[in-house]
Amino acid sequence: MAAPVFSLPILVAVISYRTRRDGRAELEMPAKEREILGERERCPTGIDGLDHILNGGIPRGNTVLVTGSVGTGKTSICVEFLVRGAVTGETSLYLSVTEPTAKLLKNVIPFDFFDERLLKQGKLHFIDLPVLYEKLGIENVEFDVGEIKLLVDGIAEIVEERTIKRFVLDSMTSVSYRLKDPEKIREFLLRLATALSAKGCTSLLVSEVSTSGENDGHGGGIEEAIADGVIVTGNLERRGDLLRTLQVVKMRGTSHSRAKYVLDLTTGGVLLVPLLKGGSIPGGG
Amino acid sequence: MTVATEISERLLELPEASSVALRLRTDQYFDAIQGMLDLFASKKDLDVIYVTSTVPSQSIINALEVLEIPLDHIWFVDCISQIMMSSSKRHPHSIGVESPTMLENIMLKVEFLMRKRAGRKALIVLDSINSLAIHNNTKILSEFLHILVNNLRAREAYTVIFSMQEYESDEIRNMLVLVSDETIELGEEAAA
Repeated sequence: MAAPVFSLPILVAVISYRTRRDGRAELEMPAKEREILGERERCPTGIDGLDHILNGGIPRGNTVLVTGSVGTGKTSICVEFLVRGAVTGETSLYLSVTEPTAKLLKNVIPFDFFDERLLKQGKLHFIDLPVLYEKLGIENVEFDVGEIKLLVDGIAEIVEERTIKRFVLDSMTSVSYRLKDPEKIREFLLRLATALSAKGCTSLLVSEVSTSGENDGHGGGIEEAIADGVIVTGNLERRGDLLRTLQVVKMRGTSHSRAKYVLDLTTGGVLLVPLLKGGSIPGGG
Repeated sequence: MTVATEISERLLELPEASSVALRLRTDQYFDAIQGMLDLFASKKDLDVIYVTSTVPSQSIINALEVLEIPLDHIWFVDCISQIMMSSSKRHPHSIGVESPTMLENIMLKVEFLMRKRAGRKALIVLDSINSLAIHNNTKILSEFLHILVNNLRAREAYTVIFSMQEYESDEIRNMLVLVSDETIELGEEAAA
């Protein structure tokens, strides 16, 4: 009889697993030791599994694309990133195109770690992008170069004024619909990423992918090429079961796991475990 | 010595964070549960996370109520009720996994419950390796056990894996040897 076979990444994940007294995973390396080694400062997402995958968090100032089809947990990941940041004192901003703030807040409140006082204390901000469009006088359905500059400057001004350290745009796809031309999408992304990074702000840009995996021709390739990081969420069907998955395919400024993980959206936040490899091979489970 | 007392005493002899394969006969099933949940877990003041893929959690809860074992520190990860399309009503101490084939989701639910009770020592019961083997092949099941048990060991939790002797295969025995620190076979002393 053949002995069970274990893949190396799983063994590494198991061996390197450590926890703190409060039950949350311990980060691999303290910030000071990173500085000595010349590594970039991290912005821990607060999602233990993701921080473990990223060796401590997103390199601070990175612009990261969170891309995936509907119902795969993109918004939950982004909201947790902001709320965990706000709890640790980093002012956070959620710029929403797809859902009005009031509706979004209803989804945030069930989180155990969410504290409504964060809103009153000005640590956590939610802004509807249409409101910003109106404030900036942007009326055209299709943006021209001037309006792109106006929008990026408007966002940068809010980030500056409120000393925002964590930023989420949900979604980049909705903005891309008003940019149409790949050149304009590229222009917008480059300007936005540069402006946010210059202010030490770490950002997540949500990108919708259709269930077929297509980006509907609204700049997915460009977005992924320009972004410092790409986190892909998805659905994996295995023998009729549908698993939510997460994979970090790119992250500048850090070594990271590129393996696929299974995620669960809970009131305690986003939880991740390694995808069992036996299930990904023919007849494997 | 009763089965319940025997299992409790043998578990008490083990160091913390032990992983135990519990080989039992089907007629010892409820006595073993009583020994673990009532005697052992109570003595050690442990929270219990009971993963069931053998019978629905409600059946075990009913049995515990008959035995007057309080449920305050016992939570269930039920992998079988959903697939059986049984009652949608679920006990507040039970959370569901859609199917015993969703092994990653079992790990996620255990993780969720461990976090909810952070700071408390825990006993995780996997009931049973045989019923999981009905739904999963050996390769993925070995991988699952290896990750789960090592994860729990790192968190200083006890893990007890049920194995029904009548339904054991060589593959299951090998798997248990690989992940367990100790194998307890009930009634060994009496038989000797």
